[in-house]
Amino acid sequence: MTIVEEKSSINAAGGWAQMRFLPEIGDLSRIVVLGVLVVAGQILYPGFLSPENLRVVLTAVAGIGILAFGMTMVVITGEIDLSVAGVAVLSIVIGGLLLPTGSPALIIGATLLCGLCLGLVNGIFVAKLGVSSLISTLAMLGIASALANIFSAGQATYPEKIAEYMWFGRGALLGVPVPIFLLAVMALACVFMTRSSTFGRKLYATGGNARAALLSGIRIDRVKIVVFAFCGLCAAITGLIESARLGYINPAAFPGLELKVLAVTVLGGAALAGGTGSVFGTLVATLIIGVVNNLLNQMGVSFYMQQVVTALVILVVVVPGMRNRRFVK
Amino acid sequence: MLKFTRRAAIGGVMSVAVFAATQGCLTAQAHADGVHDVLNGLIASYSEHAKEGMSNKSVGELFEKDGFRDYLDAYPVGGLADGFVWKPGMGATFTGPYSKLEIKAPFTDYIPLPEGPVLDPKKTYKIGFVFHGFNHPWLISLADTAAWEAARHPNVEIEVIDAEFDDNKMGQVIDTWVAKKYDGIVLWPSREAPMGPPVDRAIDAGIPVVSVDRRTSSEKISSEVLGNFYANGLQEGLYLKEVLKAGNMVLNRKDLGSTADSIRTGAFLEVIGNVDGFNIQGNYHTNSQRTLAFQSTADALQAFNDISVSFNTGGEEAMGALDAIREAKRLNSAPDGKKIVILANDDAKEVLKEIADGNIDMVSPYTPLIGDIGIRAVIKHIGAKEGLNDAPPKLIMTPNLPMITKTKMVIEGVETMTPDEWPYAYGPAVN
Repeated sequence: MTIVEEKSSINAAGGWAQMRFLPEIGDLSRIVVLGVLVVAGQILYPGFLSPENLRVVLTAVAGIGILAFGMTMVVITGEIDLSVAGVAVLSIVIGGLLLPTGSPALIIGATLLCGLCLGLVNGIFVAKLGVSSLISTLAMLGIASALANIFSAGQATYPEKIAEYMWFGRGALLGVPVPIFLLAVMALACVFMTRSSTFGRKLYATGGNARAALLSGIRIDRVKIVVFAFCGLCAAITGLIESARLGYINPAAFPGLELKVLAVTVLGGAALAGGTGSVFGTLVATLIIGVVNNLLNQMGVSFYMQQVVTALVILVVVVPGMRNRRFVK
Repeated sequence: MLKFTRRAAIGGVMSVAVFAATQGCLTAQAHADGVHDVLNGLIASYSEHAKEGMSNKSVGELFEKDGFRDYLDAYPVGGLADGFVWKPGMGATFTGPYSKLEIKAPFTDYIPLPEGPVLDPKKTYKIGFVFHGFNHPWLISLADTAAWEAARHPNVEIEVIDAEFDDNKMGQVIDTWVAKKYDGIVLWPSREAPMGPPVDRAIDAGIPVVSVDRRTSSEKISSEVLGNFYANGLQEGLYLKEVLKAGNMVLNRKDLGSTADSIRTGAFLEVIGNVDGFNIQGNYHTNSQRTLAFQSTADALQAFNDISVSFNTGGEEAMGALDAIREAKRLNSAPDGKKIVILANDDAKEVLKEIADGNIDMVSPYTPLIGDIGIRAVIKHIGAKEGLNDAPPKLIMTPNLPMITKTKMVIEGVETMTPDEWPYAYGPAVN
């Protein structure tokens, strides 16, 4: 069976002159859902749109949003990265082990480098060795999580004395909390990368039809290695943000993070078959999840019911989009 | 039948202590002689009052809705084995074999076993210790104390296995030890029901089995070393009642139906159930996840601008709540500019630091340093099987521990400890 999908993103032209940051048609339904939720929130809680509550919503989802950008790129290439939780936790644990050095550059650099390297290894396994991304990243999840526990002896560390580290979670830039600032910067960078650069066209081509992309001269192995490495880097940034917010590097952190990130990615319009998806859609999906969680918490809805509601929101948004795809034998 | 006997005993034996405590006749010195009994007396007293009804509507409704009475009535509360009286300062100090951290374990004198060979010195006894979580400070500390106790006896060999929160794996580990004819098994089960059958199979094979902290559904199990959840929740209520007469509160609770949640939260509600000024504004299950507790508290702070109390069933929840309150710069946002009262359980070193700094107001200790009791109990069961000594009781209560507050207080006969006085905190130190 061949799946033919509309891929307006492939048409994106490269170069600064033709940058396209406007949402696509497919993203509009998500924007409508987000708008409805925001209006409902403001009606239910008059302070919902207050700057303070918006700060709470955005900082809550900044980490998962950044990671979802990386995951979106991986999914666009037709692959999947189940190792993100392990990569995030091992990266921060490596940074945590270096806390006694007191060197912020070393600690933060090692954290980010660890994420990048683990992502690179994922990419090499998938692109060069031909191992299924499902299998190789699942293995990486197990290995990275276990190593985090082995290296840390299962004990937490506290980075509170490293001001530069804490800045990633608790700092502010021009009055904007750093997690929100990083979310915005990463969103802009990823939108540019996917929609207005040559690399973006290669990305969609690789996921849309790998063989055709290969015959067109695209080094799909390089594309995949780059996106896996980028996803690993995003996982490390997420780990950095979340551990700095809590002032706590926990080797048991991020249980089930990979599924939450995948949910956001799918909610954002990415198809697991590859070739489809947009960073802008993922950003809107991130905001939807943030608003839903914030609203449900404010309404006092139980954690378990929140999981049900969140899943229903995903279904409501994703299913109509799937019906629009044409399946041709 | 056993449960009834226990509770009846509490009601009878402790009534004098309760009366004395509530009349202010019990001095701090008297408390120091038996904090376990004082707290059990208060448990009995508040439980009886709660059974007569709760005047506080929001507390009473939650108590009813979540069925706390059923859990509380089923949870054993009673005296310590062999008339043991625990006093602050007791216990041995050592380096944890797994955590490599310095540990002072509070109960090493409880059900004592001298260092050196045990039972028949010519024999080697193989004991299996299975638990979940070499990635969790509380659970590593539990394993530390079990391994330490085994290492004190040259003719005891211990195998420690992490079942990684997989009940099936834990069952398989126990079955393997049965096949290998181990002499005794100690386990920390995550959930009650799944561990009943493997424990039964071990008992049927003649192998003594002891559970620590949590229970299994096995009725045949040799002994259960039980925690002091009831005293935890009770003391959170006692402290709150002492420092505040009214206010809105947000609850960060553990998994619905878990023993830790149902007993701690239930006991807390029993204490404040007849104080009309308290109102439960938010009630969240954050499942021991600091991130979830952080988020629910952050959102609750946006929904409600007059929160006076943050109740937390665990240390993880309390730290998450504190971080959210700090991030929102709302530590002193209770009515009249007062500080939000933060109540916690679990005496991790990071929680004690926040108490010393005046951020968290109190913590009820729930020590993981009880693995050694399990090992000693199972050795005694092996000895009883070989006719060398008497068997320990089936229900082994761990001593109730007094709450920790920044400054010394005496609350309804319970003398609090300060962080500096508390050597038993677990986990890594905060720099």
